[in-house]
Amino acid sequence: METTNEGETAAVEVEASDIEYVSYGGEHHLPLIMRLVDEELSEPYSIFTYRYFVYLWPHLSFLAFHRGRCVGTVVCKMGEHRNTFRGYIAMLVVIKPYRGRGIATELVTRSIKVMMESGCEEVTLEAEVTNKGALALYGRLGFIRAKRLFRYYLNGVDAFRLKLLFPRPEIDLSLPMMASRDDSHMHTDHIPPEESSELHQGL
Amino acid sequence: MAERAIEDGGNGFESPSIAPIPSGEQSVWADVSSLLEAACDDLRDGELIHGENFNLFAAMSALEIMDPKMDSGIVCRYYSVDEAIENGAAPVPLSFDRTIDVQCIIDIMDHLLACEATWHKGQSLAQTVFSCIYLLRPDRTSSHALLHCYCRIIRATCKAVISVVSDARTHEEEDLFTMAYGLPLNGDGDEKCLSMLNAVEETISRQLRACKAPSLKKRVLEDIEPLQTNSDLEEGYCKALLCRLRFRKHFYHVLTSMRRPQGRGLELARKHIASCLSELDCIRRSSDFLRSSACNTSEHGVDDRTTASGCQPIGFDATLNSRLSAPTPPRAIRTLSWEKAVEYFEKLLHDLDIICSYSLDPLFERVLRFVVQFQKSQPDLVARAHLQVLLVQDGKLYGRDPIFSVISRAAALPEVTKNHDIQKNEYVLQLGQLVINLLKILCTNAAWQRRKLGKILQDWRVIHVQLELAFKKEFGEMSIIISDENVCMKLAKHILIWVEEQTYWVAFRFLMLGFELELYSPSEYCMVYWYMYVVLIKLAEKTHLKMVASNDIAKRKGKKKRDSSKDTARDYQIPPAVLFLQCHICLAEGLTMMLAALRNEHKVFQSPSPFNTEDERFIQHFELLQKACIPDHISYLSFKESTTYARFSTLVMYNYFKDAQRIAKELKSSFSNDPDRVAELRRIEQVAEHNGVALNIICRVGSLDPSLKVSFEFSHHPYFAIAVVKRS
Repeated sequence: METTNEGETAAVEVEASDIEYVSYGGEHHLPLIMRLVDEELSEPYSIFTYRYFVYLWPHLSFLAFHRGRCVGTVVCKMGEHRNTFRGYIAMLVVIKPYRGRGIATELVTRSIKVMMESGCEEVTLEAEVTNKGALALYGRLGFIRAKRLFRYYLNGVDAFRLKLLFPRPEIDLSLPMMASRDDSHMHTDHIPPEESSELHQGL
Repeated sequence: MAERAIEDGGNGFESPSIAPIPSGEQSVWADVSSLLEAACDDLRDGELIHGENFNLFAAMSALEIMDPKMDSGIVCRYYSVDEAIENGAAPVPLSFDRTIDVQCIIDIMDHLLACEATWHKGQSLAQTVFSCIYLLRPDRTSSHALLHCYCRIIRATCKAVISVVSDARTHEEEDLFTMAYGLPLNGDGDEKCLSMLNAVEETISRQLRACKAPSLKKRVLEDIEPLQTNSDLEEGYCKALLCRLRFRKHFYHVLTSMRRPQGRGLELARKHIASCLSELDCIRRSSDFLRSSACNTSEHGVDDRTTASGCQPIGFDATLNSRLSAPTPPRAIRTLSWEKAVEYFEKLLHDLDIICSYSLDPLFERVLRFVVQFQKSQPDLVARAHLQVLLVQDGKLYGRDPIFSVISRAAALPEVTKNHDIQKNEYVLQLGQLVINLLKILCTNAAWQRRKLGKILQDWRVIHVQLELAFKKEFGEMSIIISDENVCMKLAKHILIWVEEQTYWVAFRFLMLGFELELYSPSEYCMVYWYMYVVLIKLAEKTHLKMVASNDIAKRKGKKKRDSSKDTARDYQIPPAVLFLQCHICLAEGLTMMLAALRNEHKVFQSPSPFNTEDERFIQHFELLQKACIPDHISYLSFKESTTYARFSTLVMYNYFKDAQRIAKELKSSFSNDPDRVAELRRIEQVAEHNGVALNIICRVGSLDPSLKVSFEFSHHPYFAIAVVKRS
């Protein structure tokens, strides 16, 4: 996924105040999101994948408009995951001429705020190790690179799992004593479900 | 590969307003066809009825039929292998012109090498090696000895490679690697591939001799039919074929001899590796001849061509098997170029050679060092799988040394242990399992390895607690002094110290791999080096304790005749292994303090973020260590306490880098027979020297010159950075 802008396409004259951000507002927004993601990201998603996100978590999806044209979008979800309530940023796209103006930061910040207010303890996502733009953006927002996922994408590129932990009032770090396990690690530990998704960040 | 469930049981769903109707004895089946039909009319393309169990797994599993990006069933060129063959996609022979036939076969061989390398590098077997139609129909080639024997050895080789990778069972990338369903991996008679290959090789070498012989002798050899019809090209083609056939033969021998139990075939394997490498060299050199005599010039660039001649090979269709590669969506696979494939095999063979030249050292510590050193060159899956199956066979080290004897040697247990009941203890048995797991994990790729190491830390911590409790129960309270009287207590003490030492070693490797995987950003270096420092202190402490305890035993043994008071009077020296760790400690502490001072005084390498603080980033990076209490009583607070007051003025007075440099210099003579550790000491010296200089510069001009920029680079060491100071 291409990340930054300079040179590729002539940048557009845009005032930050010209960009309008709206929460997902219904069926009429769906084709806009689909077209953007389809154009910018390589992975094929069926319409049902989009519906899954925007119907269950419409308040976590945002679109950015410039003079009526949709130039960026973020699609997210949240839910229980291994005893933590976590948010997940599935897709983030800003079209090339509009990159480098903080639009992606604004989009994703809005989603993260809603997640925080909804009681999420953390936010995660995956990004290609080569996607410097995305990595820098999320780094500025406080995400750490929690792990590297070997050849995560089918194009053979590794991914980073990025994580943002929200502050907690109390942290319990006592040693949980595990019962001894008979089964060996090598055989029981398959890829955890969340690691087999391959949703992209294109910006 | 989003096909696995992301949502566990629909937890993230808004609760449905209508409770589901339970099916039970009272429920009655009814025909709803008409209702469904009516509902269908209301549905437009792309709409769906949203059920409670519709999760991301279901959403991502949905395919849009006839969308070329998703539908792997789309017919590309041929509907089936048979249809492809009927259409003449893979003729036997390839041409009735025998010169062209030979040219085409060499192209097939080369393209198969490229496919094989692509497969090893992570693509599916079905879409790489088995994109070759000749391989898919084993019987069809039987009339063509050359093609037939080559196809056979390719199938046999694939089988051998799959076998070693699936035996290693590392569950990293190999679920795709070993996937071979629907492929004819077992052609009838493939097991005889070598004898057939030898016969063909013999024929071609006679043909080569015949064409090189002076005309007088030719008459004697006249009964030998030449390989092909153009006598000018005879020698070149014979040679090109021979090196390709011989490479396959030796490579197959490498794979089988390396699998012999207890490493018995390693020496033989090395000979075959050497032969493979020299044949690869011939293959590479044949390229000029093949290109010059090729019938058609290639439209491909040199970088893309998958054959030495540059011609497109006949008989391949990667789309034929795309349905076999489901559930993944169809992808166009980029086959490695022929040049890259040759390079890949050279690297693989070098990596295998390192394994084969290993001495099967019984000392666990040296095994670990060997594996870590081996991993530095980033070997690919096949080499790593071979190392793993060599290290762990039948639950024993090299299939030879029982794990308990490995542990007792490593933990320097006294001789009595050999038949001691302690090895039957349930937790000691479990410890053996952990040791085996650790060895296997260390053979996996760095990304996977780090995750697994993070997880097993807890197990090592828990086994320590369990062993401690079990020993207490069995042998009573342990005294701090190891007394001569109680052998059991001594054993227990040694084992416990050793377990702790391993735990900290794993923790250190976990932290270190984070650098290799680029998981840390510069603003996090300070806390990472600080954590490395506290872990290293513990590791050095435990290593030292272990060595003192083992010296104790050694001393007692040799002491009998001598006066014991002399011994204790001898001045004590810290063992080199501990001092080796000490230089790492100095570097880690020095870097921590330098980074802390930069943060405190220059306000750089801080990264304020809108949603959380450094505290949260600390928790996230070291969560697994903290959960396992590695080390005890360590928290973000202790990190802050030890770094808040770091100032350059005090750092220059007490220069950690100078210490590291001095110790490293002194230590070199102690490791004169260990080139790896001498190289490490040299790197440490360089890092220390650079950072010592940087520290002085920052201190002298830093406060005066606000334009001074400091950045960190890993140009001298994989995880100890050097500070680069620039005036901007």
